[in-house]
Amino acid sequence: MPSEPRVPIEPTLEELSALIDNELDAAAHARVAEHVAGCQECQARLEGLRQTAHAVRGLPMETPPRTFTIPAQRRQAWRWAPVGWLGSGAVALLLIAVGIQNLHLHLSAGPTATSGSTSTVSGGLAYGPAQGQKGAVAPLAAPAPSPQLFDSQSRGSAMNAATVVDPTNSSRRLVLDTDSASYPTTGRMQVTAQLIGSPLTSLNSANQGLTLTLVRNGLGVALNPVGVESWNGTPIFGGWYDIAGFPLSAPRAGDYRLEATWVIPDGSGRVLQSSVPIRLTGN
Amino acid sequence: MFPSQDKNPNDRDLVSRARQGDREAFTQLIVQYQVPLYNMALRMVGGREDAADIAQEAFLRAWEKIRTLRDAPFKSWLFQIAANLCYDHFRRNRRYGTMPDEETHNIVGLGIATPDPQERAEAGERNRLVRQSIQALDHDMRIAIVLRDVNGMAYDEIASVLQVPLGTVKSRIARARAQVQERLQQHPEFFPREDVHAE
Ligand SMILES: [Zn+2]
Repeated sequence: MPSEPRVPIEPTLEELSALIDNELDAAAHARVAEHVAGCQECQARLEGLRQTAHAVRGLPMETPPRTFTIPAQRRQAWRWAPVGWLGSGAVALLLIAVGIQNLHLHLSAGPTATSGSTSTVSGGLAYGPAQGQKGAVAPLAAPAPSPQLFDSQSRGSAMNAATVVDPTNSSRRLVLDTDSASYPTTGRMQVTAQLIGSPLTSLNSANQGLTLTLVRNGLGVALNPVGVESWNGTPIFGGWYDIAGFPLSAPRAGDYRLEATWVIPDGSGRVLQSSVPIRLTGN
Repeated sequence: MFPSQDKNPNDRDLVSRARQGDREAFTQLIVQYQVPLYNMALRMVGGREDAADIAQEAFLRAWEKIRTLRDAPFKSWLFQIAANLCYDHFRRNRRYGTMPDEETHNIVGLGIATPDPQERAEAGERNRLVRQSIQALDHDMRIAIVLRDVNGMAYDEIASVLQVPLGTVKSRIARARAQVQERLQQHPEFFPREDVHAE
């Protein structure tokens, strides 16, 4: 209620808040300030907002718990290829015994594969023959994530992540991450794959054309990507995987890569692939 | 109108060197922005390790994509990357509960000096309530008040970080403050209700 007839227009909450920040234009500033000067109620409103802003501003700035770094070389941000090397029929939950080899050798030329994006795109690297690959694939049960899925309380601190952007559609990205880059062979790995900008909202990995493979020396074990949720149209897959259950060859410890391959389900045949390094330790 | 905050003129040179692949220049940008960026993430997600992960990932993505940065100010662009990572974080963790409010350690002495142990305890409790009230906001309001009152950004800078109109920034900040105020006033022993009395 205005306390004086001379100042009839009550300022809005937004105007009072912006007044504190000096973010009103000159005319509005003058009008609101004049009203407030003559209205006790608005003085109290303003004072309350001001004290709130001060309370938030008074929170101490904290020191980060670690230093932030960038790698000596740019992460290989993304790779792609004609779909030929991975027919849609092969996009299944299989242990890939041999077929992965071409993929691995060509795609994972390693983090030294130079400045990432441009060369890889335009190169449009040719992959192993599409034909005959299925024959090289030995089906086995795919490890499934354990039912509790993510437990945010036990998330590790070192996030291990890679993002690839579709060069023809910059709003489409495949984001792969794990909660660590290193696990004991008896540990559990939390994996998340986000299919940002997918043309489908399905949480069925086969419909989405998504596969997850843990690869070493041309041998891979496929992980079963479980649909976790669809958030604003972004399908998210992942879960906790018990590494002890993986059919890995001995010695189980060593350096692997976890690769997410997404055959974009729009009929274009384009593939996005992200990978992160995974080290298994112990025996 | 009021000018937006200083766009650090130093950034331009560092950014242009970083675009050429100069890691040293980018490392200087990290040094310059690590505390504000980390604190933004911390006030958004609540947990220190998660906030550090987000800051680290934001720097990494910025480094990878810096060649795509044209005329936009580096700071807004960097914070925009981090803001998106915060939203990714909420998406991932939505079903699994939120991190507990972590007790403060590791604090830079930028707060009000409170040498007396009792005052310090009270300040600690007040800060805990403020952090809790911020955490209770929805994500859109939370990031607006954090960028304004934690990071001290001007409204136009916040608009460019969040890619929303100025009016939206104004209203989110106002509503966020009103909600935080309402929560704080439930603890009058720490936040006495101020009535303005005419003398
Ligand atoms: Zn009034």
